[in-house]
Amino acid sequence: MKKLILITLSVTLLLSLSCKDNLPLDKDLTKKSYTLINQDSVEVIFPENIIGHITVMGFIYTHCPDICPMTTHNMYLVQKQLNEEGIDNVKFIAISFDPDRDTPEVLTKFAEIRDLDFNSWTFLTGQKNTVDEMMKRFDVKAIKTDERIDEEGNPEYSMMHTDRISLIDEHGILRKNYKGSTLNFEELINDIKTLQD
Amino acid sequence: MNILLVILFILFPPEDKIKIKDAWMRPSSENMATALYFIIENNGSKADTLFQVDCNFAGKVEIHETYSQGDMMGMRKVDFIIIDGKSSFEFKPGGYHVMLMKLKKDINDGDEENFVLHLKQAGEIVITATAKKPE
Repeated sequence: MKKLILITLSVTLLLSLSCKDNLPLDKDLTKKSYTLINQDSVEVIFPENIIGHITVMGFIYTHCPDICPMTTHNMYLVQKQLNEEGIDNVKFIAISFDPDRDTPEVLTKFAEIRDLDFNSWTFLTGQKNTVDEMMKRFDVKAIKTDERIDEEGNPEYSMMHTDRISLIDEHGILRKNYKGSTLNFEELINDIKTLQD
Repeated sequence: MNILLVILFILFPPEDKIKIKDAWMRPSSENMATALYFIIENNGSKADTLFQVDCNFAGKVEIHETYSQGDMMGMRKVDFIIIDGKSSFEFKPGGYHVMLMKLKKDINDGDEENFVLHLKQAGEIVITATAKKPE
């Protein structure tokens, strides 16, 4: 009997270690807070706003025609798959690293045209220095490229940026990063289930 | 002789050298950007060059490619795309795309819009693309 208990405990320990290997990061985001605004222009303190929920977070800018819409759509597909499996308590956050152009109104339209549900989705923007600091915390880089002035005198640019979706647990600990535009859906969904167990 | 040619033309119409397939774009909103994707098939034996795309609902239209550098992604304008003879070229997410900037209206799921593709050999080709969410 003792042998059986020992074997069971060893297997449990091994399984637990193996699950932890799948979630290699352990960055406590609660050590620093950021005051941002959401798509409704309501002030949001990150990461206080996500404590208690597993969060899938994407880093985007809305003037991006290709990569960021792919990232956003991949998050939508993850949500759809989770909902089909009866998992509906995961939060989805898209934060813009282009706060100069991504105002709450712009973010709202970006979400609405994609039928994203604000019950589980939040879009964040904020003061540029706050957003820049937060990007550093997540090790996300975003650099303006092709800067020019258009015919009406407005600045025009693209951005070269880290292609990123992050998984944050319910305690505000960053657990894993993924490629946003070419996301491995199965990997992220399995990791979310691991966090739920 | 002319009648014979007409009959031959009706019975055996010449196949288009350039065929555009599966044209679609992402939904997007006014003043924002989106991307147009499609496949160009060149059934002719000679290469052709796509050098411009126009539409009437975007302030600016450019051919772009998405590229990666480490874990970062960016995009840059390209002046033209060469489609070799007897080959095809795909504009697809994460690769080459036609960037539509400063949209003059919302593009909703299911909307259809016309574009004019300008090719050196084939001239102007009008295509219709449907706005849709990718699978």
